[in-house]
Amino acid sequence: MRAYKCIIGAVLLSGCGKELPTLTIAINAGVEGDALKAAAYEWGARNRMRVDIVELPYANLFEKELLDLTSHTGAYDIIMMDDPWFPRMVENSQLAVIEKQPDTDFLASCLDVCRAPYRTGAFYALPYVGNSQLFFYRKDLFDKHGIAAPATWNDVLAAAKKIGPAEKMYGYVMRAAPGNAVITDFMPLFWVFGAEMFDSQGHAAVATPEAAECVRFMLELGKYSPPGYTGFNADEVSGHLLQSTAVMSINWPAWIAAMDDPARSKIVGKIAFAQMPSARRKGVAELGSWLLGIPAGSKNKQRAAEFLFWATAPAQMKQAALRGNPPTRRSAFLDPELRARFRAFPAQLASLETARPRPRTPLWNEIENAFGIRISQANSGSITPEEALQRANQEIEAIVQRAK
Amino acid sequence: MIQTLRRSWPGVPWVAPTVVLLLALSIYPLVFSVKVSLTGPAGFSLANYARLVQDRLFLQALAQTLLYTAVALAIEFVLGLALALLIDSLGRGRALFRAGLLAPMLLPPVVVAVIWRLIYNPQFGVLNGTLRSLSINTSALTWTSGEGGALASVILVDVWEWTPFLFLLLSAGLQALPYEPLEAARMDGASSWQVFRDVVLPLLKPVMTLAILLRTMDLMRIFDQIFILTQGGPGFATETVSLYIYRTAFRFFNFGYAAAMSFLGLGLTIVFAKSLMRVMRVSK
Repeated sequence: MRAYKCIIGAVLLSGCGKELPTLTIAINAGVEGDALKAAAYEWGARNRMRVDIVELPYANLFEKELLDLTSHTGAYDIIMMDDPWFPRMVENSQLAVIEKQPDTDFLASCLDVCRAPYRTGAFYALPYVGNSQLFFYRKDLFDKHGIAAPATWNDVLAAAKKIGPAEKMYGYVMRAAPGNAVITDFMPLFWVFGAEMFDSQGHAAVATPEAAECVRFMLELGKYSPPGYTGFNADEVSGHLLQSTAVMSINWPAWIAAMDDPARSKIVGKIAFAQMPSARRKGVAELGSWLLGIPAGSKNKQRAAEFLFWATAPAQMKQAALRGNPPTRRSAFLDPELRARFRAFPAQLASLETARPRPRTPLWNEIENAFGIRISQANSGSITPEEALQRANQEIEAIVQRAK
Repeated sequence: MIQTLRRSWPGVPWVAPTVVLLLALSIYPLVFSVKVSLTGPAGFSLANYARLVQDRLFLQALAQTLLYTAVALAIEFVLGLALALLIDSLGRGRALFRAGLLAPMLLPPVVVAVIWRLIYNPQFGVLNGTLRSLSINTSALTWTSGEGGALASVILVDVWEWTPFLFLLLSAGLQALPYEPLEAARMDGASSWQVFRDVVLPLLKPVMTLAILLRTMDLMRIFDQIFILTQGGPGFATETVSLYIYRTAFRFFNFGYAAAMSFLGLGLTIVFAKSLMRVMRVSK
């Protein structure tokens, strides 16, 4: 009996000493990452895998992931990527190909950005968070002043002129801090005014009459924005909406929950979410999906792929939505339980179906920075719209040429 | 062989670990970054250094860094010296004032930047809120958000945080001054101003040089406060060389160009340090 107990003890001890296989996941510190973190721990427990989560702020996530990819360190088995990063990260076979084809329940706009080349190539990632911009506006004030929901940018300007002064509020508020912030709010205007970043040969093409008209329009909107908006990022823009000091803005779905949270918001139930307004072209939102990919240097590619498909399957996508993530599957957006719980889902689905990604170039970070500086300078009045676009065009072209 | 080495240089085993560490952690990375800065797509190249003089944004960032350094240093030095003299002249309560004045310097720069970002917020910030409560129109006071005032606002934060550092060094210098020359000057009928100009300042020169040197090196690589407060904006109004290097290296992953910019910054700091030492004649 004693010997029997010793054998059992030895077996148990040897089991304790044996390390479980580990899956390391790099995620964004924020609501998008929280849902993935919860899912990863659940999957680890089910599959007897140890899951290590490396949670990093947005800016650091990019540099850590790219260092891992370029050095093939194998530090991460799965990485969470903002979709504009994807072209840079997929270069030089740094990401592993996803062999199994994703099903057609995923929204096409979300799947397209997971392929290299864009829309047509092999899959190197799966979409996890379906982010695209929405137009936030104060429905109560629009109703009070007998104005319909803004369908065009001219409607937005007219409403800003009318409602803002009448309500002693700022008619419009936008992100105009240099770099990513200003470009994020500028692109939906830029596109619908008929401008494009590049011509058919891939040369910079931002110095056009359409683009100049667009910048002038942005400056006009700026007249109805709070003072100092040229330094605003998402926090300040959302702060103005939450404090009921601004009437309209472009914003991301991540802020919807805050708008209806009485602890943070003075406008619970008063705000509506619409599609991007139109101008020369039909309104289009900028896509900002979060993708999951497997670094080529990972030593657990098989397991990582299993997790990827499990985490993005309909059942888990619904769980992620309940945890606050906008889904990337049509079935989740049409789910009655989710629709009853998230009133913006119809608008989010419509926005995602037509959303446009930022130009698919590995140089986007640098291009966005150069363009963002000049557009921000135009907003602050230090240079004219034409001058800003001319300089931006030269700098973007120099970036493109240097990379050749 | 080892025995011979031990006999000839008995200190070798003691310094070897430090030398190895220095080589691995300082010298090798330095040499490697020189190599990176001199490497182009087709091997050895001076392209990164040539680009420095053509890059308008870099030149603007450099000019702003120099302006930032000069203005912040001048204000911090004058205020630090004035405070040191004032506190030094106090009979009682010196320790209390000294401790109170040091508080901003003890806060992490990132925390300081976040606090000032909230203070500067044009609508919800305490600064404009206070001014509004005094019936002052604050619509034009955008602080870090206005192209004209952004650099000045950022400098103000630096002055608030780092004046105590200069105060601390200069105060320590004042306390270490020999008593006799000061007493002799007073006995000879020198006025307070004459004592300060002709005795205190010359005696304080080594400490002043050290204070200016340390602060200049810090200011030339200012990063955290500006990164949090303005991200270099609005437009490009508060971009500094460090911020530009960070973006180039870690956002655009162009390490060669970032290294070239770093070496130029290092060169400028060395030139400044040498010039300062010469002007102050510290070595004599």
